[in-house]
Amino acid sequence: MTVEQDCVALDQFPVGMRVLAVDDDQTCLRILESLLHRCQYHVTTTNQAQKALELLRENKNKFDLVISDVDMPDMDGFKLLELVGLEMDLPVIRVTHGACDYLLKPVRIEELKNIWQHVVRSRFDKNRGSNNGDKKDGSGNNEGVANSDPNNGRANRKRKDQYNEDEDEERDDNDDPSSQKKPRVVWTVELHKKFVAAVNQLGFEKAMPKKILDLMNVEKLTRENVASHLQKFRLYLKRISGNQQAIMANSDLHFLQMSNGLDGFHHRPIPVGSGQNVLQNPTDLGKFHHVSSLPLNHIDGGNILQGLPMPLEFDQLQTNNNKSIIAGNSMAFPSFPTQQSSLPNNNNHLVLEGHPQASPSAFPGHQINKRLEHWSNAVSSSSSTLPPAQNSNSIIIGHQFDVSPLPHSKPDSLEWNTQNASSSYSIPFCDSTIPLTSSMNTNPRAFYRTTDLDSNANVQPGVYYDSSQMRQSGNYGPTTDAMLSSNPKEGFIVGQQKLQSGFMGAEAGSLDDIVNSTMKQEQSQGDLSEGDLGYGGFSSLRTCL
Amino acid sequence: MQRQVALIKQSLLDQGYLDEQFMELEELQDDANPNFVEEVATLYFKDSARLINNIDQALERGSFDFNRLDNYMHQFKGSSTSIGASKVKTECTMFREYCRAGNAEGCLRTFKQLKKEHATLRKKLEQYFQLARQAGPKETARRPK
Repeated sequence: MTVEQDCVALDQFPVGMRVLAVDDDQTCLRILESLLHRCQYHVTTTNQAQKALELLRENKNKFDLVISDVDMPDMDGFKLLELVGLEMDLPVIRVTHGACDYLLKPVRIEELKNIWQHVVRSRFDKNRGSNNGDKKDGSGNNEGVANSDPNNGRANRKRKDQYNEDEDEERDDNDDPSSQKKPRVVWTVELHKKFVAAVNQLGFEKAMPKKILDLMNVEKLTRENVASHLQKFRLYLKRISGNQQAIMANSDLHFLQMSNGLDGFHHRPIPVGSGQNVLQNPTDLGKFHHVSSLPLNHIDGGNILQGLPMPLEFDQLQTNNNKSIIAGNSMAFPSFPTQQSSLPNNNNHLVLEGHPQASPSAFPGHQINKRLEHWSNAVSSSSSTLPPAQNSNSIIIGHQFDVSPLPHSKPDSLEWNTQNASSSYSIPFCDSTIPLTSSMNTNPRAFYRTTDLDSNANVQPGVYYDSSQMRQSGNYGPTTDAMLSSNPKEGFIVGQQKLQSGFMGAEAGSLDDIVNSTMKQEQSQGDLSEGDLGYGGFSSLRTCL
Repeated sequence: MQRQVALIKQSLLDQGYLDEQFMELEELQDDANPNFVEEVATLYFKDSARLINNIDQALERGSFDFNRLDNYMHQFKGSSTSIGASKVKTECTMFREYCRAGNAEGCLRTFKQLKKEHATLRKKLEQYFQLARQAGPKETARRPK
């Protein structure tokens, strides 16, 4: 299939499309074959799924489409489908006797005429780099669903309509993502793991959202989600590639933190690990209860991307709706007087405020303040220890990243603050909103996580807290983590990130302290991630604001 | 002769032995595939004979493994549907119902009926195809639209 085919009019179907038909029932197979021939497709048939797989593996480009029966004795049709989809990124259409699936048996020619659209669509998408047909199979499914009476010709039409409808919807979705009030996707560790696995499988360079989506095979995940996550991921990697390797390990977490921003971090005590990648130190994490949920292991060996929940979302902070936002706003929190110690949000939000939009300067005080307030409340409850961060260190989380570029206005959880160009690996927690970059200017390390409370933080309000900052605050890391802890899984990541921020140079000692304190807090608070922020650490975390 | 063939076919349809699906199959028959329908029918009977055997054995054993029986029947139903063997399909459905209800006797009864229908259909189709071959492939392939 080439571009020409992309241009094929919808009412025609491409001649010569190569289809592999799999069905254990000889009768059905024969019929299918004949139908496909009628549509002028090239057909290869086999009644064994294994054989089909072999054929496919032999030459991935040999076929354009696979039609498979779902209930076959030697291999489950679904499994075949998955494998095919994963390995070869071929559209697969399922055929079944059942009532609501895909193409119903007996297969009708009208439906087969439509199937080429699946292929075209996917090619089209590939060519355009966009994905219109996320649910190619889904469309096929709809076709099936529409008609439970195989003998009903009308049903075929219905299916077709449905198919078209479906496509339209998809198109709409694609065209106008921002207007969709999609529930935000939280990139949990698991999800991120899948994502990473998919990306690795496809090859980082070649990974396309659609393919990743198919590989991940997660319900309710849209291509857009994947696309934006991928974008973030890429940016993130770019960012950290210059960073210490250490960060890599933690990058997953960070990444996730950044991308999730929202929910992730709750409950995750962010171990502020000392400068070194704390994350890499599972023990630290161990400290955090919450973190436990996070498999630190992920961080090891490069699963970095595993599910780092991006807890940080500064934006979220504002909302304070249980968002553990470890907003990595680089903005130094200069003055959150209130917040200081009580980082932990009430809602276990890691409040790392990454205030995305506010211009960094001035420390979007108001914003931060707001957040801080929440935070402080939370924090105070959780940790009395947190010393009033003089400079919002405590708040650490309040960093507002230089919002300037907040590229993503949408608090897309997937956004990272990759902006921190600087090495600081800054945990991109701030969920996208925080364009760390801007603030980063001064601090390369803008730690997204706000844990950057690095001394440099005070550089400018908008500055991210560099990890270096974090350093000082050391804890910053942890605190944020703690905050993030709200979400055990995510929190973990956050925490991890924090730890990473540790690499930021945070004093190990301080971080440890923070972590510890956080831990304690956590414990006391139970799950409250906020408290976890270990406010104890806060004190040490001085954001450089 | 063609008319005869057509008549037989029509009667099969009318009597419910065959349904629309069969017609669709006929449409697929063309010069490239002159005996398509017959081939498919042959395949079907071969497959279904095997399935019937399996089911027979399972039933004779006396132990009613309804799950297994249901599975067989599922396959059977699938191919019957593909070829348009409508009465057979109906029996399959009934059989499955009995399986699900765990009604052994119902299963046995239905299965007997199913075999009967199946045999009848087979005979009729053989007859039909014979005639069709004699009448000339083109003619039979054409279906009045």
